[in-house]
Amino acid sequence: MTTLDALAPHRRDHSLSLWIGLILVGLHVAVALLSLVWTPYDPTAMAGGRLEPPSLTHWAGTDRLGRDFFTQIMIGSRIALIVGIGAVAIGAAIGVTLGMLAAFASRLLDDALAATLDILIAFPTLLIAMLVVAASDTASLGSAILALGIALSAIVARLTRILAKRVLVMDYITAARTSGTSWIGIVFRHVLPNIWPTLSVNFALQFGLAVIAEASLSYLGLGAPPPNASWGRLLQEAQGTVYTAPIGAVAPGIALVSLVIGVNLLADGLRDIGDPTRRLAR
Amino acid sequence: MSLLSIENLSLAAADIPLVSRLSFAIAPGERLGLIGESGSGKSLTAMAATGLLPRAITASGSVRLGGQQVIGAADRVLDGLRGTVSAFVFQEPLTALDPLMRVGRQVAEPLRRRTRRDGRDLDGDALMREVHALLEQVALPQPDRIARSYPHEISGGQRQRVAIAMALACRPQLLIADEPTTALDVTTQAEILKLLDGLVRERGMALLFISHDLPVVAEVVDRVVVLKKGIAVEEGPVAEVFGAPKDEYTRSLVAAARAFDAALEGTP
Amino acid sequence: MSLVSVEHVSFNYTRDRRVLDDVSLSIRTGASIGLVGESGSGKTTLLRLLLGLTRPTAGRIRFGEAELDPGNGAFMRDYRRQVQAVFQDPYSSLDPRQNVLGIVGEPLRSLGIPGDRRALVEAALVSVGLEPGILGRYPHEFSGGQRQRIAIARAIVAKPKLLLADEAVSALDLSTRIRIVELLKRLAAEMTLVFVSHDLGVVAALCDEIVILERGRIVEAGATRKILADPQHPYTRTLLDSVPRMPA
Repeated sequence: MTTLDALAPHRRDHSLSLWIGLILVGLHVAVALLSLVWTPYDPTAMAGGRLEPPSLTHWAGTDRLGRDFFTQIMIGSRIALIVGIGAVAIGAAIGVTLGMLAAFASRLLDDALAATLDILIAFPTLLIAMLVVAASDTASLGSAILALGIALSAIVARLTRILAKRVLVMDYITAARTSGTSWIGIVFRHVLPNIWPTLSVNFALQFGLAVIAEASLSYLGLGAPPPNASWGRLLQEAQGTVYTAPIGAVAPGIALVSLVIGVNLLADGLRDIGDPTRRLAR
Repeated sequence: MSLLSIENLSLAAADIPLVSRLSFAIAPGERLGLIGESGSGKSLTAMAATGLLPRAITASGSVRLGGQQVIGAADRVLDGLRGTVSAFVFQEPLTALDPLMRVGRQVAEPLRRRTRRDGRDLDGDALMREVHALLEQVALPQPDRIARSYPHEISGGQRQRVAIAMALACRPQLLIADEPTTALDVTTQAEILKLLDGLVRERGMALLFISHDLPVVAEVVDRVVVLKKGIAVEEGPVAEVFGAPKDEYTRSLVAAARAFDAALEGTP
Repeated sequence: MSLVSVEHVSFNYTRDRRVLDDVSLSIRTGASIGLVGESGSGKTTLLRLLLGLTRPTAGRIRFGEAELDPGNGAFMRDYRRQVQAVFQDPYSSLDPRQNVLGIVGEPLRSLGIPGDRRALVEAALVSVGLEPGILGRYPHEFSGGQRQRIAIARAIVAKPKLLLADEAVSALDLSTRIRIVELLKRLAAEMTLVFVSHDLGVVAALCDEIVILERGRIVEAGATRKILADPQHPYTRTLLDSVPRMPA
């Protein structure tokens, strides 16, 4: 009955993280879009000597086949965004549906679903993705995205289930039922809007996981085949020359980390903007 | 000398004032009621009295508990005051007790600390005997069974009795009770109020009783302070304040309480 | 005439724990009935049964001529239109992410009630003493008493015949409580009211009839004035004696 909740230590100022996130993600999106129409060099052509260090003509140097490395990174941005968005979209679609079903289901079905999800989550995301890729004999960007989406869906489903159950015990759900609102209406009007802030932050986290997992798949040779210059493949190719030409490992690494951090900061900031209870709290 | 003396206490979170220039004192054995509705700052005042304020809240003025300045005091000093000078009973007995610890052990903890302070180190059987004695003093039936139970295995009223036993184990000079009956049923509330009243009288303890419920306060205290939005609007003996309230806000509270009483008497 | 009648209703969650035991009750049109009981009395379960959220283990509830059947969609649609509820905690009964128009308009939308939704919601807000201009605001912007008024507006917007209130004022401060009781009393003049509470004082101020529940059974029922003046059952007497009173 005390108002102490409202007096908890002040919330962090989110506008800064929003701006940094916006700039980082915006940069990657801009570069990815630009790469569709223009790159400094033809990504597949030999544009200079092998393993040249960064210079004015080759901003990030060249790789061991003499291709412009900055061009490769630009294309990598595009692939990373496609993989991240695609995998999260698939994971969200499957995961939210399953989790919602479990939350509304009878005790028995819920227990069965929860146990299955727990087992799935016990497997590392990457391992599941590798299994799915292995099962779909040809390695392609599409199968990698599908594999990652399926692997992520178990985590999304479990989170959705827990969050939805917490909302379902609230009086406003009972009030909705006595107001004649159908189950579908309750899901879309009450449950989803109330679990969305937590889910969306989690999606950002998983976007990062997916991008990193795709890089790992590519690094292991299970990702999108050449000429898709995924950052993971760039890292793999740089492996042999990491001491002589460290830029080959550093540049895709920076690109990867900046995108993952950017997406997370952006999601944090957006959550607070979209939340009426935070926006107007004094 | 006063056991608790609060002078010009102001509390604020960031720039929002929560309590403004509040002053009152409780002498040994005196029973004071702090009346206020939600947002009045009554619970914060109680926390300030024992130095339990959340970090985000800044306090100014003076709070002396057992002669010791509380505001700005180190935790080590405050730890010495809590339990020896004052003890707390909270509103919700379910969250005030550790759900994973048997009731007997929870009561034993403050009891052991107090007996050690008195120079007696109780252990095993002797400690358990004193725990049972305490449970009997708060009129719990079958103290053996209760002591072996976990909090969720006993009723809300029994849990609040356990919380009172824990407070008594400290033998405090001042008992602070923050809405101790609000979460309870009416018949249970009546029993707990009677218990508290009897224990406080018997032991000559001082009581700071915090509540929004006027008739409940009237049953256990002699004097009241009425808080409205952090400001004391009226203070005085129960009979005076409830009989002839001077402040307009107090008048509206008294009128509301009397309206429900009148309905019960069938004279609306 | 009886609007709703509860006929020999029993309810148990598990086989050995009976929450309601052979409860019969007639709710006449226009009555205001206080269902009084403490925790474990089964009053909340009885309310859930009346709302069609749960089915009785034995016995039945009749609404007019028809039997209340939570599985019958067409019946429930009509029933929900006639029977609405207000809950205890105004902090949990309003969806924090819906604005006032969405919250109060929900029964209109979900039950497919024709008419200008906005106008109907504004009218409901006015009749519970709120400004009609708050449609776009969110629950956290309001005090506990205002929130409970919003919840009451939602319950009356579809113009139900029966209003069920579950401890609807016990979470409120004293000065707010008396104003909400006055509001409910005014509404009770126009519709049938069942007010579930542990607080005899509030029930005495609001209801013409009282039903006392103890451990799943009705121990006493009758006119409020009669029960207060001359309680028959020992439990009723204990309950009455337990209510703290102001010093004379």
